[in-house]
Amino acid sequence: MARKDASIQRVTYNRGEKVTGALMSLPAIILLIAFLIIPIVYTIFYSLFQYQVVRPDSMEFIGLENYLEVFQTEEFYVALRNTFYFTVLVVPIQCVLALCLALLVRSRRRGVSIFRTMYFAPQVTSMVVIAVLWTVLYNSNANTGLINALLSTFGAGPVNFLGDPDVAMNAIIFMSAWQGAGYQMMIFLAGLQGIPEEQYEAASIDGAGRWAQFRYVTLPGLANTTKYVLMITIIQAMKLFTQPYIMTKGGPQNATRTLVYYIYEEGFQSGNFGFACAIATVFFVLVVIISLIVKKLTRTK
Amino acid sequence: MKSKKVLAAALAAALAVSMAACSGGTSSGGTTASGSGEGGGATSETVNLTIWSPTDTAGIEQWWVDTLNTWNSEHPEIRVSREAIDRSSSYDYENKITTATTSNSLPDILFIDGPMVSYYAANGIIIPIDDVYTEEDKEDFMPSTIQQNTYDGHLYAIGATESSVLLYYNKDYLDAAGIEYPTDSDINEAWTWSEFAENAAKLTTSDYVGTNIIMDKGEGIIYGLGSFWNEADAPMVSDDGTTAEGYVNSDASVETLNYLADLVKNGYANQDPITDEFLNGKCATMLGGSWNIQTLEGSDLNWGVSYYPVSNDGKAVSPTGDWSAGVSKNCENTDAAFEFLQWLMNTENCATYADTISKPATRISSYDLMEGWDEGPRALVRWQLENTGVARPRTPSYSILSTEFASAFLNVISGSDAKTELDNVAAEFDDDYQTYYAE
Repeated sequence: MARKDASIQRVTYNRGEKVTGALMSLPAIILLIAFLIIPIVYTIFYSLFQYQVVRPDSMEFIGLENYLEVFQTEEFYVALRNTFYFTVLVVPIQCVLALCLALLVRSRRRGVSIFRTMYFAPQVTSMVVIAVLWTVLYNSNANTGLINALLSTFGAGPVNFLGDPDVAMNAIIFMSAWQGAGYQMMIFLAGLQGIPEEQYEAASIDGAGRWAQFRYVTLPGLANTTKYVLMITIIQAMKLFTQPYIMTKGGPQNATRTLVYYIYEEGFQSGNFGFACAIATVFFVLVVIISLIVKKLTRTK
Repeated sequence: MKSKKVLAAALAAALAVSMAACSGGTSSGGTTASGSGEGGGATSETVNLTIWSPTDTAGIEQWWVDTLNTWNSEHPEIRVSREAIDRSSSYDYENKITTATTSNSLPDILFIDGPMVSYYAANGIIIPIDDVYTEEDKEDFMPSTIQQNTYDGHLYAIGATESSVLLYYNKDYLDAAGIEYPTDSDINEAWTWSEFAENAAKLTTSDYVGTNIIMDKGEGIIYGLGSFWNEADAPMVSDDGTTAEGYVNSDASVETLNYLADLVKNGYANQDPITDEFLNGKCATMLGGSWNIQTLEGSDLNWGVSYYPVSNDGKAVSPTGDWSAGVSKNCENTDAAFEFLQWLMNTENCATYADTISKPATRISSYDLMEGWDEGPRALVRWQLENTGVARPRTPSYSILSTEFASAFLNVISGSDAKTELDNVAAEFDDDYQTYYAE
């Protein structure tokens, strides 16, 4: 048998085709190596050095000292906690919101495409622009902040959305879910189109109401889509950077300093490049572990 | 079959070439404003120089085009072009220099903020330019400019303009509150800290706040408010710039921070003021840079200026400093760069640059060519520079001080303890200095 297989293979892929195949995959492989593999290797390499960012000439090998320092620094745990807090809250909110929106705009009624565009619009706008806009909306002064102006017409006191350490992260979570949901909505929409109409017909003949149809037809039909959406949303959430960078600079009182923002701050503003690379490596390992756990938890039996 | 193979190989080759082109080390981002574009006068002996500076007002952008046109038509052998680098948030431009340093793609000449000169000099990013100017020339520059741009006994950069911070006030709002206009002619009558705070309280209404104390969450805080620390005899770092312990966290420093943070905590100043808050009538007074004069002169606002607030016992200090140009370590034709820099910062160019941006010139001889600096708000700027101006701390760990100080300030406003926050600033500063600069 084995001999036969081998001979079949030799017939299927002759030498010329092998070369073609290699050439065809070369662009993807080059890109992966240039923008993924090499940076990762460099990050791990630099994390073993004491390295002031603008002085590559005076790098000093210090082994695992940076890692020891990472795990002894309180700021690292604060950033870790903030990142998890953001992820744990924003992922369910954003995914449920996206699913609801997808169900809403699924119908073929006239004008529904307008809503589809509206919900997707924040997604095609740059996060930087959105963050600047929301900074204005969240302004703590009722004279200049639109949301506080609205609150004050109802007699509610002004909320210092981005200046109060207890509120700032929640404010960022809300705007992030609003901004991000459009993308997941589109993926859910595609998933919904993949559920055959016959299943709904059969369900309604069996006397299933709207809720039962959703519970026993739509949700199982979306199982794979949901897994994918969960995975990308979690990874996206872990990488939170733009919003704190633009809106709060990690403050107030470190309430919005996430791991990626902490890496940026240490690496570029403080110039501790080796230390920043050590945090980045820890972060990389963390994301890989979490991805594997999520994959395992959502595996179909 | 064969043609497919050829196509595949061609595609792969094209991709490889295009990627190589991308990684060729040319800096990206920003628009290139090159002088005198026409005519292919470039010969093989032509030296090309590139300048980086942050994107500026339309007037300054035009000044660059005109000035470089003049130079390039007179010196065909040294062609100079400038890249305007976007600076959408406080530290963006510095981050770009950092990135370019690690990849050895710095421009020949780069503009840097005054207090960063020590940092770039200590790390060998810019080279000494002692010989660019004669001693006579150097005496024509304001002493504060020379001092700010000198590190370890060498001159590392030179700028065309200085700056100062004034107290701007809205006359209509002061009238409404029954507050007399502060003086613009007698420093002994300037508002003290107490008067500044009391008036900010009186001036705060439901429509606008009493004052604006910069609050840009970045460098603006230490630049615009640092002079309060000098007035309180609480310098942030030691004279030699090696330690902050016992300086930035001294009792007087804690008091000063609490005094300023209370203005925001009490609602007399906004924590996140809108752009042009004063111009839009959303604050009654403002601690603002001298560059605001030009904008305000073009507006309908009924405004006036006075001295930067003085301490309760009358000590007067005011902020100074502006961007300067240095020659980078990646510059291959230093002679050409020196020749150009010497010309760029001559009396006439300093005067036209300063005029365009309504900033005070660094060269004393430039004032003969400039009008309007003997009276009104500009005379006040000049007076402060000559009499009360003090530069920001000179230390290679300045960027740590600046960022940590700004975040400490914001944390205190949101309720943290000032002493704890400033202890942290001192610790971070000393840690950085000890790690990278201590002998």
